[in-house]
Amino acid sequence: MFRLQGSKVLAVDMTGDAVKAKNGSMVAYDGQMAFKKLSGGGEGLRGMVTRRLTGEQMTVMEVKGHGTCWFADRASEINLVGLQGDKLYVESSNLLATDAGLRTGTTFTGLRGASQGNGLFTTTVEGHGQAAIMSDGPAVVLRVSAQYPLTVDPGAYIAHQGNLRQSFQSGVTFRTFFGEGGGEAFQIRFEGDGLVYIQPSERNTIAGDV
Amino acid sequence: MAFREINSKMVEATVLPGQRLFSQRGAMLAYKGEVSFTPNMQGGQGGIMSMIGRRVANEATPLMSVEGSGTVLFGHGGHHVQVINLTGDTLYVEADRLLAFEGTLQQGTMFMGSQGGVMGMVRGQVTGQGLFTTTLKGHGAAAVMAHGGVIELPITPQRPIHVDPQAYVAHRGEVRNKLSTALGWRDMVGRGSGEAFQLELSGQGTVYVQASEEKL
Repeated sequence: MFRLQGSKVLAVDMTGDAVKAKNGSMVAYDGQMAFKKLSGGGEGLRGMVTRRLTGEQMTVMEVKGHGTCWFADRASEINLVGLQGDKLYVESSNLLATDAGLRTGTTFTGLRGASQGNGLFTTTVEGHGQAAIMSDGPAVVLRVSAQYPLTVDPGAYIAHQGNLRQSFQSGVTFRTFFGEGGGEAFQIRFEGDGLVYIQPSERNTIAGDV
Repeated sequence: MAFREINSKMVEATVLPGQRLFSQRGAMLAYKGEVSFTPNMQGGQGGIMSMIGRRVANEATPLMSVEGSGTVLFGHGGHHVQVINLTGDTLYVEADRLLAFEGTLQQGTMFMGSQGGVMGMVRGQVTGQGLFTTTLKGHGAAAVMAHGGVIELPITPQRPIHVDPQAYVAHRGEVRNKLSTALGWRDMVGRGSGEAFQLELSGQGTVYVQASEEKL
């Protein structure tokens, strides 16, 4: 059972069940807790190989026990996402905790990943349960529908869920090469039906420099 | 109540004649009225002996005393500020986290080793808190800084709290703390969960935990 205590601390009440959380993100707990490192990214040997190849290796720990455990990471804002069988795509650096029942994996994102400064792969979370994602500043959830496609800055993108197609847009013109670019050379365009999570801050990306 | 939270990162203190306030040097942002700021060589209250004590204990952050009549705004480094009101109990806090406190509070230094002996000293080293900590006792308010927001967790005899040493900010009340280790073979082979050391706080009181694992 996930709940927020303030906007920056996640409290998880546990009764013998387990959650997966970012390594070292526990700030306090009461009751009895056990911490075990998991090799994040995916399950089994295949997951391990994928992680090694993709570099999307989030270090995850499994927390199990009775009581309440509080999580926080570098004063980031925390957002709760409920999953009912759908899939959440999130940067591994923005994923704080998930229910143990949720499956995590890695997918290829293509050029978009590189423009976000996050590598070519992203983490997926799938199943029924709750996940907590982090953002630098309070996140905004934007709905994308068939009539309203959405274009976002790669540096501000943190996660998306639902049935979305993404494409990569470039606004590079001859001005960019003269150092006269507007700092918005690349964008990601989402089409379909789903939700996109945006943070009010931009990571350092190649796109931001040109 | 001398401190009023303006927003999460600034506090406004009311200074009245005859009531002294201590604050970290350079933490004043703005003031109204006739207020004087005097650098405090001794780094707080007490005489020369207290000063030497603090120097030795490395708990001597440069303080200034604030006197006069008016209001003063305090803030430092964009850190979150938490106002803690004391009613006769004792607050244990690292000196560098202390933004400002009322002169009615009695300031002291506590040797961490006195709680838990050798393990107490090990704890100080492991947690980066050093061997000493500052105590504030009496009636009054103190403004404490933390990285990110602060949550208050109550401690009762039936419900001890374990805290990540890096996220620990301060605690108050009749609380015993000890370092508990959950070191296993996994940590030895570099497969630890990053939660090898925890501060175990038991007794009766409150612990303040910040939403971050970064020191100030």
